[in-house]
Amino acid sequence: MAAQTTAKEQFVSFASEAVEDVSERQHRVHIDDSVTSPVVLYFATGIAWLVLGSLAGLGAAVKFNLPDWLGGTPFLTFGRIRPVHLNAVMYGWASLAGAGMVVWLTGRLCRVPIQKTWALYVSAILWNIGVLFGVVALLFGYNQGMEWLEFPRPAGGLIALGFLFFAYSIIETFRKRQVEHLYVSMWYILASMLWFPILYVVANLGIYDGVTEAAMNWWFAHNALAVWFTPVGLAGAYYFIPKVIGRPIYSYYLGLLGFWAFALFYNWNGIHHLVGGPLPTWLVTVSIVASVMMFVPVMAVAVNHHLTTIGHFRMLKYSPTLRFVVFGSMSYTAVSFQGSIESLRSFSEVAHFTHYTIGHAHLGVYGFLSMILFGAIYYIMPRIAKWEWPYPKLIKLHFWMSAIGIALYVIAMCTGGWIQGTMMNDPSLPFIASVNATKPYLWARSVGGTMMLIGHLAFAYQFILIIYRSGPTRYVPAWFELRQASGSEESKPV
Amino acid sequence: MNLPVAIIIIISFVVVAGALTLAGFVWAVRTKQFSIKQLNEGAKLIFDDEEPIGTPQDMIFQKPSNGSANHR
Repeated sequence: MAAQTTAKEQFVSFASEAVEDVSERQHRVHIDDSVTSPVVLYFATGIAWLVLGSLAGLGAAVKFNLPDWLGGTPFLTFGRIRPVHLNAVMYGWASLAGAGMVVWLTGRLCRVPIQKTWALYVSAILWNIGVLFGVVALLFGYNQGMEWLEFPRPAGGLIALGFLFFAYSIIETFRKRQVEHLYVSMWYILASMLWFPILYVVANLGIYDGVTEAAMNWWFAHNALAVWFTPVGLAGAYYFIPKVIGRPIYSYYLGLLGFWAFALFYNWNGIHHLVGGPLPTWLVTVSIVASVMMFVPVMAVAVNHHLTTIGHFRMLKYSPTLRFVVFGSMSYTAVSFQGSIESLRSFSEVAHFTHYTIGHAHLGVYGFLSMILFGAIYYIMPRIAKWEWPYPKLIKLHFWMSAIGIALYVIAMCTGGWIQGTMMNDPSLPFIASVNATKPYLWARSVGGTMMLIGHLAFAYQFILIIYRSGPTRYVPAWFELRQASGSEESKPV
Repeated sequence: MNLPVAIIIIISFVVVAGALTLAGFVWAVRTKQFSIKQLNEGAKLIFDDEEPIGTPQDMIFQKPSNGSANHR
């Protein structure tokens, strides 16, 4: 043990000393150091919510296969663990890990140490207390009855307050920036700082009922993606893809065009969830038109990322970050096109109120956002922990479990959902026939969910190792395969 | 709360969000974020002398040719 500690200390000391005499590198390391503790706090708590949320999600999925399983325990019934899954992964995992990535990116892109770090600690604490309070309340049956807004209002208030402290630190850092021009990722980050607090506060005002409540519910739920989760994911993709490849983004013009088209069209999308509902027709139609117009920003992003990566696809063989982020970026294109088509009335007639929507939602939040966050964490952590990921094979396991798991999940849910919708629209068939037809697809969903959970456990285990600088000491990148050009070799465990 | 009042409240907040976005756009124009020079150079902002264009950056720890490990 003593020998191990000594080797670790020597390595950390060496890693720190190596940067002392180089001013630019020193400045960048100084920026990274300024965010170490808050970023680790955001990531660690986010990953804890990921594991908990995944367990709840898998439990909910298995209940579709075995309806009586754990049915005798009130707080483990479907109606409680399903919202626990949704809220734990959205406000716990995706939001906290996203916040950690945003903090790190803001320091890098503004080229200045993060300001008001105390506000980030306050933010992370309030945010986690809010999510914990909300999850416990849901388990005890307190639920506001609106999807994505199930948390009791005090829990929502704590999360909103946490976000305001977070935004305060980011905006203060932006004000002290050492760069004249804003990189496109920073546009997305700043936009989410302005938009999300307004959205969340309006949605939690509690002044709505009836049809108005339904409209507000889906205006909020879709805009949570539009003004928080998607900008965070795109900010990451616009940074990590060119950075890892070592090649500027293909078209900066397209990048900014995509951002402003995104700002113009995305926030109108939510009401397409209420196609066929008792709302003014024009309201739904405007939302459908805006949803179709989303082809513009999505194409801008898709073309830009693809043409940046083209010619460098071999790097996907080596780089964990690039593989996760490119997978996420491709999923963004797929889920956005799918969403635009899904908003059309003729398509909604079949897909609405079926498992199809669940498949679509998971492609967005997991295939796109979570995969980019995984890639970002694999890139950021070695830089702030000054310790490389100890087990590349576990990263590989994580990637394949997540990638195959989400692919299986989405294909099963979209296929099963479409069959379900077609059968429900056939008046000659009894309703139970549409339920029975989905059974094989629901089993496939449980298998996909299990695979994703296995990936998350491998990820969480490695995260614990890296924050404690534990596991084998590595002097080489934690790539999937070592490139011969690097001329490197892995050190033996000490 | 009835529909018109709720819609007025929502629209008010949406106007605030829209105004902030518009203000951001005006700020961007005034600070020449869309100038040809900025647009041509903007994509290179994430690179510098230590992490230059043409060098893949997904390797913080590497062993250079002199045999000693290096922290990037």
